[in-house]
Amino acid sequence: MILEFSFRFDQFSIFIASSIAIFTLLIGLYALIFMKGNRASGQFLVYFFLNCFFAIGAVLANNLILLLFFWESLLLTMFGMIMVGGRESYKTAIKAFIIIGITDLCMMVGIALTGQLAGTFTMSAISVSTAGLGGFAFIMLMIGALAKAGAMPFHTWIPDAASDAPLPFMALIPGALEKLIGIYFLTRVSLELFKIEPASWASLLLMIVGAVTIIFAVLMALIQKDFKKLLSYHAISQVGYMVLGIGTALPVGIIGGLFHMINNALYKSCLFLTGGAVEKEAGTTDLTKLGGLAWQMPVTFACFVVAALSISGVPPFNGFFSKELVYDGALERGWIFYAVAVAGSFFTAASFLKLGHAAFLGRSDTKSKEAPWPMLLPMVVIAAACIIFGVYNTLPIDRIIAPILGSHALEGHKFSGLPANMFLVLMTLIVLAGAVLNHLYGVKKSGKAIGAADHIHYAPVMHSLYDRAEKKIFDPYEIGMKLANVAARILYGIDRFVDWFYEVFTVRIVLLFTSLIKWAHSGNISTYVIWSLVGSIAVLVMAWR
Amino acid sequence: MTYLLLFIPFAILILINLFPREKRTEPAFWLGLAVLVFQAGAVVASQFGYWGTILTSQLESVFGFNLQLYKMGHVLVMASALAGATALLVARATLKNKRDRFNFVGLLLVSLIGINGIAMVTDIFTLYIFIEVTALATFILIMLNREQAAFEGAFKYLIMSVVATVLMLAAVSLFILIGGGTSFLDVKMAVISDPLAYTALLLFLCGLFIKGGMVPFHGWLPDAYSSAPTAVSVWLAGIVTKASGIYALIRLMVIFGGLEPLQNIMLTVGAASIVIGALAALGQKELKRLLAYSSISQMGYIVIALGSGTVLGIFAALFHFFNHTLFKATLFANVAAVEEQTGTQEMEKLGGLAQKMPITGLTSAIASLSTAGLPPLSGFWSKLLIIIALWISGHYFFAAVAVLASVVTLAYFLLLQRQAFFGLVPAALKEVREAGPILLIPAVFLSLLIVVIGLVFPFMIQMVLR
Repeated sequence: MILEFSFRFDQFSIFIASSIAIFTLLIGLYALIFMKGNRASGQFLVYFFLNCFFAIGAVLANNLILLLFFWESLLLTMFGMIMVGGRESYKTAIKAFIIIGITDLCMMVGIALTGQLAGTFTMSAISVSTAGLGGFAFIMLMIGALAKAGAMPFHTWIPDAASDAPLPFMALIPGALEKLIGIYFLTRVSLELFKIEPASWASLLLMIVGAVTIIFAVLMALIQKDFKKLLSYHAISQVGYMVLGIGTALPVGIIGGLFHMINNALYKSCLFLTGGAVEKEAGTTDLTKLGGLAWQMPVTFACFVVAALSISGVPPFNGFFSKELVYDGALERGWIFYAVAVAGSFFTAASFLKLGHAAFLGRSDTKSKEAPWPMLLPMVVIAAACIIFGVYNTLPIDRIIAPILGSHALEGHKFSGLPANMFLVLMTLIVLAGAVLNHLYGVKKSGKAIGAADHIHYAPVMHSLYDRAEKKIFDPYEIGMKLANVAARILYGIDRFVDWFYEVFTVRIVLLFTSLIKWAHSGNISTYVIWSLVGSIAVLVMAWR
Repeated sequence: MTYLLLFIPFAILILINLFPREKRTEPAFWLGLAVLVFQAGAVVASQFGYWGTILTSQLESVFGFNLQLYKMGHVLVMASALAGATALLVARATLKNKRDRFNFVGLLLVSLIGINGIAMVTDIFTLYIFIEVTALATFILIMLNREQAAFEGAFKYLIMSVVATVLMLAAVSLFILIGGGTSFLDVKMAVISDPLAYTALLLFLCGLFIKGGMVPFHGWLPDAYSSAPTAVSVWLAGIVTKASGIYALIRLMVIFGGLEPLQNIMLTVGAASIVIGALAALGQKELKRLLAYSSISQMGYIVIALGSGTVLGIFAALFHFFNHTLFKATLFANVAAVEEQTGTQEMEKLGGLAQKMPITGLTSAIASLSTAGLPPLSGFWSKLLIIIALWISGHYFFAAVAVLASVVTLAYFLLLQRQAFFGLVPAALKEVREAGPILLIPAVFLSLLIVVIGLVFPFMIQMVLR
């Protein structure tokens, strides 16, 4: 049976599906206020809730083709939501559409191959090895999942969308929902469909993608001077931790990755929502113009602080615990992955110190007031969840995440509660303290909060790299577009040549012969008689040859 | 019955000369037309659906002596009736001088006797005689309007015809010398057994090439066609050249078609005519000259089909022979209309005539497209059959030449249409009006035939094959 409408309700899918529903509800409430007065708000909300429907369908589907149907439908709603952002947002919408469309195409190939190799499209019955063609299928499926989650190098549309798309879109889609379904599918693929081993190349590949995503995205985030854009780079960077965690293929890493997924959805959407509140009330998200909002918008500020501490991995907030688990798994697989992850933590903390300092502290130029309650409520609820998931981490880990792996995989270990490895905790605290010192040094050196990261930005080697990245030289989409442009020019040249061949060359040759023949027909009768006689002789020769 | 086709034109020829000198033009026209209508009616009445019989009955006795010669003759008789009627109508509208009109009818009847004779001969000497009868009347027809250019054209035709006569007469005398007989049967026996008779046959074929205006024997043709009065051009292009050259070739190839050297000669001469005729037509500036070169090219198609050496090839050649009469007579009638209304036939001075002369424009478009071989017009089917015949007999190269040349055909006809009938109307032609009914009737009738035959042919061939 290729296509059957079978759904799966196990611990994992129910958890992800209900998370999607809750996030859509909260952020939908927020969007009602945020989008008020926007011409396209009705259209936006239609896409918004349709998106929820398709996402839940994709998570619950137990058939790869059915999953593909929902998965591809998400592309349309995403396109629509970016489209309604403004007059110029169509460029970003097309960029996102092309990137996600191409990666979805890869995933389609992967699904077809997997189904062929496994002999069935029912996900719960599939078990394929990553050897040979199976490896190719795995990579194709992984591209689809990673692109949805926004890992490098499929991330480049997210920062563009941050400035073009409506903010509730950013809070829900790249902030929470796409991480949930992307990582959900990645987990299903790596742990169920292919069952990758810790020593396999597939595991290593995932970890490399994770580490690269962490460090490069966070370095880009560090130098941003726009509230939403800075958050969008973190939305990419945080995926790296999840991919790294799952890529370790160790129980501790997987639980850390999944826990980080839900934590990230919480604090990242909370951060975007505070950003939206600032945009709505202060009228801008440009960090050079913001400042001193802490006293004008105290609730927003409080939520921001909670979420920022979570994302930086400060105990006892939720981000701390999930990161510790990921570190644990990464260190077991190789110190380099751990080092990259910790370095990512350092820059995360540094960039949020800079963001909070620039936006909420310092001197105020604007007169802003607190956001209305329907916008505050989701923020407060989510921020509260960040604290609960941190302090009572037993609740999500033992009740929700650990059962996903099954009890035999855990081998009696317990991952909740305080971290087992005190060395890692110490290292984290040292790194966080380093980030604070770094921030103080940066502020002192440049003289203003916004310049806290300038000494990294304008460091000798970093400066040129940053310049190139800002010019989108490393953007695969731009590279692809340039290549397409070159290919188009070559094809255009070929087309012109064919055109020339038919319309100019052939015609010239024909006309040349025509003028020759016209010249030969001089009207002289003796010429014609000679032709006839020559012709007669030729006929005789031909016949007698 | 058969000999009536010779006697009736002869009797009418005498009859029209019995009328008093002042009043004989009108009766001559009507009697001439009556002869042609009788001819067409005789063919239709005697043999309904002869296309089919040719195709089926020949399948058994390929190239045997007992061929449907008589039925092949029907095609020629029918074509001459159509072309003759067109020529008579065009002459009535375009020849201003009463005496010229009368002479035209008389000479047309003389050449008609020759053509009808060609249609029914069974021996090579008689064939030669009738070809000469036709040619004799044609010389005078070309110089009917007594213009300098017409004399030149007629002179070239005369000189070249003399060369042809020498070749053919030599051939005939050789046949008599060797075989003792000149009937096709005797000739066939002689050719098979005697190399001298074979040579004689080749000489005869060269004579026919000159008569039919095949490349490189064609030098006289463009000058004669373009310098003659348009009414005469209709008659020349429509039937005379084809009857005395091409039809005779078909007759001989039905008998000798199995000889491979002859096939090769036909293929080569045909291909050369197709290509050079088409390319030369592309460079012409006068309507009649363009149509003359187009005729050479289309004759090439007929001859190349004979080279395939198959029954289908013979059938396709005959079919194209008939179609060529339809579309070339239409086109020359259109030229007559254009020349009559605008006073010129140089394409550069024309333009936008389709607006001013819609019926002439439409019929010339139909005839042009039929010549270029566009479905569903009749010319498409005959060209298609020619190409199929070449293909199945293994002459892929010549099939390709035939296909490619029809692109050039389309090119020069589009050029003609664009320059003469489409585009802007020049200031000098603002007052031009549609030609009178006498010029339109043949054009409309023949283009209707083109369309109807094109539409009916697939059903007809299906019926035949079933």
